[in-house]
Amino acid sequence: MATAATAQQQQRAGEMNVIARKQRSLWGDAFYRLIRNRAALVGLIVIAFAALTAIFADFDLLGIRIKLAPYDPLAQNGPKQLMEPIWTKFFGSKFTDPAYIFGSDELGRDILSRLMYSSRVSLIIGLVPVSIVLAIGLSVGMLAGYVGGVVDDVLMRITDVVYAFPDLLFVIIIVATLRGTPLGDAYNGLLVIFVGIAVVNWVGVARLVRGQVLSVKHREFVEAARAIGAGPGRIMRTHIFPNILAPIIVTVAFAIPGAMLTESILSYLGIGIRPPTPTWGVMINEGFIVFSTSAWPVLLPSMCISIVLLAFTFVGDGLRDALDPRSKM
Amino acid sequence: MLRYVIRRLLLIIPTMFFVALITFSLAHAAPGSPFDRNANRPMSQETIDRINRYYGVDKPIPEQFVTYMGNLLRGDLGLSFTRQRPVVDIIGQGIGTTFQLGLGALVFALAFSIPLGIISALKQNTLVDYSSMLVATIGTTIPSFVIAIFLIYIFGVNLNLLPFVGWGSWQHMVMPMFVLGLGAGAFLTRITRASMLEAIRQDYVRTARSKGLRERTVIVGHALKNALIPVATIIGPATAGLITGSFIIETLFNVPGMGRLYIISILARDYPVIMGTTLLYAFLIMMANLTVDILYGVLDPRIKVR
Repeated sequence: MATAATAQQQQRAGEMNVIARKQRSLWGDAFYRLIRNRAALVGLIVIAFAALTAIFADFDLLGIRIKLAPYDPLAQNGPKQLMEPIWTKFFGSKFTDPAYIFGSDELGRDILSRLMYSSRVSLIIGLVPVSIVLAIGLSVGMLAGYVGGVVDDVLMRITDVVYAFPDLLFVIIIVATLRGTPLGDAYNGLLVIFVGIAVVNWVGVARLVRGQVLSVKHREFVEAARAIGAGPGRIMRTHIFPNILAPIIVTVAFAIPGAMLTESILSYLGIGIRPPTPTWGVMINEGFIVFSTSAWPVLLPSMCISIVLLAFTFVGDGLRDALDPRSKM
Repeated sequence: MLRYVIRRLLLIIPTMFFVALITFSLAHAAPGSPFDRNANRPMSQETIDRINRYYGVDKPIPEQFVTYMGNLLRGDLGLSFTRQRPVVDIIGQGIGTTFQLGLGALVFALAFSIPLGIISALKQNTLVDYSSMLVATIGTTIPSFVIAIFLIYIFGVNLNLLPFVGWGSWQHMVMPMFVLGLGAGAFLTRITRASMLEAIRQDYVRTARSKGLRERTVIVGHALKNALIPVATIIGPATAGLITGSFIIETLFNVPGMGRLYIISILARDYPVIMGTTLLYAFLIMMANLTVDILYGVLDPRIKVR
């Protein structure tokens, strides 16, 4: 990095007898540490790849049309049922078709196209409910932590009850009981999953934010801001928020795969996204009928889930180390 | 200490009440019942009314809730909508299997996680450490049902070694227990390692060494004893995880336990069974957490329970 320093800096550094370095902000520093973590870097690349696949599976915007998915994920082809992936040809499989790179499922639908469209659902599930959770959790947590009093008491009582409920059980009850209602059927069950995940998870974020706010609220820099006349809104926004951001980012990094996993489990159990809409969980659920004779329709989505979840874990772990240098021993 | 235990036990009552209230309201807010959606067996209004009266669902919802809570206190969870039997009987039938599965998984998890965590910590930054951490990361990240699928594919379908449907013989139990225990165990491995790493850097360990104690005594008698305290606290949430994990694993392996019963009832909208199992799950999880919190106070005198 010393090479990036300007000649002037070099000279000044020489005078001061220190090594000149290009200056980096705290966040830039954290990003640099994240990128240097090999596992996190691999994770980031995998996530970027999955996101691009999801977006460009069938992209049609502003006259630009890119369609990576070779087939319609719902199109059935009777005579071409349960084709095996083409690489099995090298192991002696007679049931391959070059038109179906990853094979086809029990209804003759192209597995590759279905996997690509599935990643779209996962992407949406990873982004939308987590944003809702973050929005609610941040506002309630900051309010409870900063203002305290009744807001705080009410929040803590609610969290006690929600904490007694096992997370997944709560989501299942919400999703299952709302099936058949307009909310439950909206977007093939997508909307009610958003609701379920949001209702269960905002509490955890609110608790975390509250704790963080409590720990910085009485620090000198907050006191200083108050002393020069900053209002509560300004203090929360510009003084407290940046200082509690690091643990929140780490939490979000783990909440995204958590939400994706919840969707997969629900869909696998048959109460999540409705078939035929492809998601990895739905594919496993549907393929399980033929699993003992033909495993690929189940194995491939299972692998996709594993790879994406591992990628998120690597990035999450990397972020935690990068944002909190003290945690590195 | 006794006051703390009593306070915590009393706190379970309002929490259980709210759990019941939320589940009950959600279940009854949903439109329809298992009786009016049967296209194959059209029923006269008279029949529907009679059935509704039989199950007590013709009354206003608040009244139904009060009746339900009253019966609950007497240990009566009502009648199943789909099986024409008391919910208590149905749960009683599955609970033994679920406990067997959960206990086996917990024993397996503890048996591999604690030694692995200790070895990783003692051999920090060696190949042993890296590989066990890799296993732990995979175990915590990859969902249990996906691991189960891979195992069924290898041992059930390809090698034809283990049955993967049903319950009874030890061959049936191996895979479900392994899969269920793996996630919890992987998590416990990480905690044990972190906690052990911290313990072996403490002054009292240095003191023990400088006294000339044997390495084994230092590790087992001094470091490990303290390192296991945080591990013990995690067993509570881990048990909760095992309990909720059981309904995925039971569904996947067709184990006739409470978890599979729960999923079947949800799909069939059998609300009395859903209510009963949810309450039982919530109760078990609260008891697991309470037990561990009490244990924490007993194990570590530095912790002052309030």
